[in-house]
Amino acid sequence: MRKEDTVKLISAEGFEFVIHKDAAMVSQTIRNMLTSPGSFAETEHGEVTFPEISTTILEKICKYFYWNLQFASGKETEFHIEPELTLELMMAANYLHT
Amino acid sequence: MSNQKKRNFQIEAFKHRVVVDPKYADKTWKILEHAIHEIYNHNASGLSFEELYRNAYNMVLHKFGEKLYMGLVNTMTSHLKEISKTIEAAQGGFFLEELNRKWNDHNKALQMIRDILMYMDRTYIPSTQKTPVHELGLNLWRDNIVHFNKIQTRLLNTLLELIHRERTGEVINRGLMRNIIKMLMDLGPSVYQEDFEKPFLEVSAEFYKGESQKFIECCDCGDYLKKAERRLNEELERVTHYLDVKSEAKITNVVEKEMIANHMLRLVHMENSGLVNMLLDDKYEDLGRMYNLFRRVPDGLPTIREVMTSHIRETGKQLVTDPEKLKDPVEFVQRLLDEKDKYDRIISSSFTNDKTFQNALNSSFEYFINLNPRSPEFISLFVDEKLRKGLKGVSEEDVETILDKVMMLFRYLQEKDVFEKYYKQHLAKRLLSGKTVSDDAERSLIVKLKTECGYQFTSKLEGMFTDMKTSQDTVQGFYASHPELGSGPTLTVQVLTTGSWPTQPSITCNLPAEMSALCEKFRSYYLGTHTGRRLSWQTNMGTADIKALFGKGQKHELNVSTYQMCVLMLFNNADRLNYKEIEQATEIPASDLKRCLQSLACVKGKNVLRKEPMSKDIGEDDAFFVNDKFTSKFYKVKIGTVVAQKESEPEKQETRQRVEEDRKPQIEAAIVRIMKSRKTLDHNNIIAEVTKQLQSRFLANPTEIKKRIESLIERDFLERDMTDRKLYRYLA
Repeated sequence: MRKEDTVKLISAEGFEFVIHKDAAMVSQTIRNMLTSPGSFAETEHGEVTFPEISTTILEKICKYFYWNLQFASGKETEFHIEPELTLELMMAANYLHT
Repeated sequence: MSNQKKRNFQIEAFKHRVVVDPKYADKTWKILEHAIHEIYNHNASGLSFEELYRNAYNMVLHKFGEKLYMGLVNTMTSHLKEISKTIEAAQGGFFLEELNRKWNDHNKALQMIRDILMYMDRTYIPSTQKTPVHELGLNLWRDNIVHFNKIQTRLLNTLLELIHRERTGEVINRGLMRNIIKMLMDLGPSVYQEDFEKPFLEVSAEFYKGESQKFIECCDCGDYLKKAERRLNEELERVTHYLDVKSEAKITNVVEKEMIANHMLRLVHMENSGLVNMLLDDKYEDLGRMYNLFRRVPDGLPTIREVMTSHIRETGKQLVTDPEKLKDPVEFVQRLLDEKDKYDRIISSSFTNDKTFQNALNSSFEYFINLNPRSPEFISLFVDEKLRKGLKGVSEEDVETILDKVMMLFRYLQEKDVFEKYYKQHLAKRLLSGKTVSDDAERSLIVKLKTECGYQFTSKLEGMFTDMKTSQDTVQGFYASHPELGSGPTLTVQVLTTGSWPTQPSITCNLPAEMSALCEKFRSYYLGTHTGRRLSWQTNMGTADIKALFGKGQKHELNVSTYQMCVLMLFNNADRLNYKEIEQATEIPASDLKRCLQSLACVKGKNVLRKEPMSKDIGEDDAFFVNDKFTSKFYKVKIGTVVAQKESEPEKQETRQRVEEDRKPQIEAAIVRIMKSRKTLDHNNIIAEVTKQLQSRFLANPTEIKKRIESLIERDFLERDMTDRKLYRYLA
């Protein structure tokens, strides 16, 4: 995995998730961050900090990104969401425009 | 399950974090405002997208969307006001460049701002029906820059000035032009149209009006068209390089209107170089150009077509009515063909084979060919000439093309039956004298006529061919059954079916004894094999080869007509015969006899007879001798009968009369056919229907149709309606 193809997502607690850019761009917000014509700090360093998203949620989100790519390419499986995460996950989804 | 206690679910409204700090909104906005400034100053790299996005997100979530939106409008407006000042300050040629650069900057900044304010774009703007960020940015640019008083006029003038310079041959920065025009288009179609396109079209119209006026005064038609074409191409090129595609039709319209439509008539009728001269000089290129240009304007092609039609009609009329050119029918038809070829070439190479032009050409030919009542005769004579000698040594395909061309002329004829009449005559002569060059060509022409006019038209012509064929067999059979006839004169008989051939009732002349005996034998042979037929001899149509021995012992074979043979054979038993004696002995009709004697005695080099007194014409009291001094370089001497190739006036009248006579039953048949299906019909409709039905053969004369109707009424085929006298009824 080349470094240019990845992006580092950092949770409120400081956990770092390194995932494919393709996967991260499932989120419209992240896509805008990475592709905006001006060079914002995120584009330059290849890392995004989310001070309002907890590690558990961010992990779930990353899983969702990959699941989404698979689903789009035709592999239709279920995506399991633990009920206790639902609310926070929905707020994050709204924020990330996923 | 049912006894289990139901758990009640209640969904409570989600509570947002309560904003504690009352200055929260102002503080957050300050951060964002600062970021927008930084973006406009190309200084964004230090900013965190996530932070800005989160701030905007939170502002919207905490119901400060209005504040955010208004703040954006104000900040952007103040930035654009700054920009407009720097653009205004740009000097001369740098004006457009500065504008372009600032436009690019603005676009880039706008996109970044939109990205960080995306959450507002997504949720706040649709719910409050405000203008989305991107569009807002364009609108503000439009209002503060492009429509800013000083910039607006300057921009328009600069653009028009540049285009004018390009039209006069200068090279301009097309890339810059494209960017600026693109900007106007991005700002919305109405901005492009109002701020640029409309004045552009007006200025162009003015420009081309002046230019076309200048050109038309000093150029000839061909040059003018070249210039117009070049201008048109330039404008098209301009559109592809830096204008909106939608402007293409508009600007070409302007050029077409100013340069072509307004000067159309003047161009077409231009002296020494107009359309007529182009046609005369076969200027394919110029004609093609004219066609292509005129096609673009309304009434353009009809104008060309009308002028061409009237020109063809005029020259054609001269051609068919010029008495000089009527002297030689073959030449006459050749001219027609040449004329047709010429225009066919023009239409195919310059007018892209336009159907309407072909139709115009056809109708013109039809018009003037039928101006001359002798056209059918001449065309038939042309075919005759070609089939008799013209086709020797010509390949089969060429023969076909010639025949096809003739057929084309034939199609133009209105009186096809007249042609048929003459064709029959000429064909008969060809067949009987064995002069036809190619049987295939003859047949191919008949097939063509058949496809053109139907079976009926050619059945008799085909009958003639069949007769020729069976006659050959008959003569063979005759000699096979009479082996004793091997020595002595050879008789070749062509048995012709009455009706198929154009026979004139003629008196059989007295054949020499040897011949009449042979003829008797043939008659009894023929009637023996075919009972119930009548055989009569057409001595006026035959030919004979006779051997003659002259004074100094020279031997010659003379190729003569049957009449001439009869006369010459008389001299086997006499040295001197006068006219009366010959007439009595042969019983040849006086006019034919005179002609035949004339050709025997008065043509230099072929005068096998001598006449007293020597004169050009044959008198009733002349006496004839064998010309002992006759000499010729050739062993075989062909003595033609003095015949007019063209018909003489009385013959013409006669043919005409026969044609009219033949038409009567055809008209009657047509009337009866029509009435049988319609039962009742009024006068005008009958005339129209009959004319239509007979069109393929001839143009029926209304008065003649009327006469035929009357005749049919007399014979109880039709009756007039008792109340409406114009109505006819069919009586079964």
